[in-house]
Amino acid sequence: MNWAKLTQIDRRIIFITVGLAILIPLIFPIRMPVGTQRVTKHLFQAVEEIDPQEQVLLLSCDYAPQTEAENQPMTVAVLRHCFARRLPVLINALYVEGAPLLDLAMHQVMDEFNAHAKANADSILYGRDVVYLGWQPPPIVPILSMGRSIKGIYPVDYYLTPMDSLPLMTGVHNYDQVGLVLAITPLASPLWYVMYARTKFGVKVGAGCTAVCAPDFYPYCRSGQLLGMMAGMKGAAEYEELVENEYHPGGRRRATEGMASQSAAHLLMMFFVIIGNIAYFSTRRKS
Amino acid sequence: MRDKLPLGLLILMGVLGLTSRFIPHPVGEGMNAYLRDTLLRIISAFALILGLGNLLLRHTHKLEHKEPGWPHSIALIAGFVVTAVIGLLGGVSGEGPLPTAIGSFKFDITTIYNRVLIPLGATMFSLLAFYMASAAYRSFRAKSWLAALLLISAFVVMLGQVPLGGQISPIIPQISQWIMEVPNTAAKRGIELGITLGVLATTLKILAGIERSWLGSSK
Repeated sequence: MNWAKLTQIDRRIIFITVGLAILIPLIFPIRMPVGTQRVTKHLFQAVEEIDPQEQVLLLSCDYAPQTEAENQPMTVAVLRHCFARRLPVLINALYVEGAPLLDLAMHQVMDEFNAHAKANADSILYGRDVVYLGWQPPPIVPILSMGRSIKGIYPVDYYLTPMDSLPLMTGVHNYDQVGLVLAITPLASPLWYVMYARTKFGVKVGAGCTAVCAPDFYPYCRSGQLLGMMAGMKGAAEYEELVENEYHPGGRRRATEGMASQSAAHLLMMFFVIIGNIAYFSTRRKS
Repeated sequence: MRDKLPLGLLILMGVLGLTSRFIPHPVGEGMNAYLRDTLLRIISAFALILGLGNLLLRHTHKLEHKEPGWPHSIALIAGFVVTAVIGLLGGVSGEGPLPTAIGSFKFDITTIYNRVLIPLGATMFSLLAFYMASAAYRSFRAKSWLAALLLISAFVVMLGQVPLGGQISPIIPQISQWIMEVPNTAAKRGIELGITLGVLATTLKILAGIERSWLGSSK
């Protein structure tokens, strides 16, 4: 066998096979059973432990369209969890580029819940159950200033509605009323919350991050500074399944749908690495 | 004077930031909050203008001198001007004085964001998968036992990060989790501690006026 040829596979062939491996499971969906990692379970539990009568969840996002595929399903899954528990949610964006994505996610989940609502009490209402605080630059300013006053740093919401006119904000003043800050990110914002908000104001912090960021956050999960984490699209899929199994909110689960595609891509990458190594050692032995 | 004024300002701001952290007196905290919530945001706004101006100047210069890749600058400047005009005059979703729809075809900022920016951003990021597959095939070789160890760890973590790993064997996700939680955490902690000590030393050097390269001088 001519092993030398195997060390020189045209990259166009690699690109086409990777493209097919990703596309085929998306076109012909295969639902794969998703296990649950410890860190995802801990995050789910942390959200479960917030008392909806006393505290709110602050969903802080700083992702842009580039990582929408990984981060947006996390936001949607967390919103479904909170709305199913009737846990009030505050949302803020730390970067402007992703701010409209949060608006899309919030309205998508509100519409899902309101489609089944029979009365006002069953509905998810903006201002009563959820408030989108919007974007305030630079990130360190809202992170620190929310410890003193949320309304001070966000006098109006994303839609320019004065905060005082929103019923939810009458009882929410600062981090004392925030049960958990869940930072969803492709960067390091959960660590900023740990460094500035947790050490100074004692607020609890959780994370949802892209898979490449996850290794940075494991030390903080081990130390308890992060209560839990959704690591990459797999973490998002695990959270989607946990919420679905517990509350059955329904709706499309994009991360779970993407698992077959991700499995195929990982397998193919491993296959190429193995082929490359076999060919490398065979040609080296010969030479 | 060119050096002393920014240096004096830096030392003043640095000391104020540090004291409010370690001496939580209301006066210090109030001043720190004012500087952060007001001054920092004003500086950020100027930085944004500076950044945008710099970006435009850089690409205009590239275009004028026909530097390599100059056609890309046309796309950037055109995109910049078109979105700025639509955003400033057309409003977020077409409520401004500039008409942002021709029949049912909309081109307001929300539509541009949803239909252009999101797909473009996702496309750019997803290209990584293709390049990673190609690069891994060409360069990920078990040339030594350390490289082999890295290769095996990578395979276990890659399998553990997808449901398929659990279906092959329930041990794979557990080993993957252990790799992330124990050896990865140990290495990360070491790196983080090293970086933090370095940052601390550099900060003290800047605050003491020993490190002045940020002023643009070699002193």
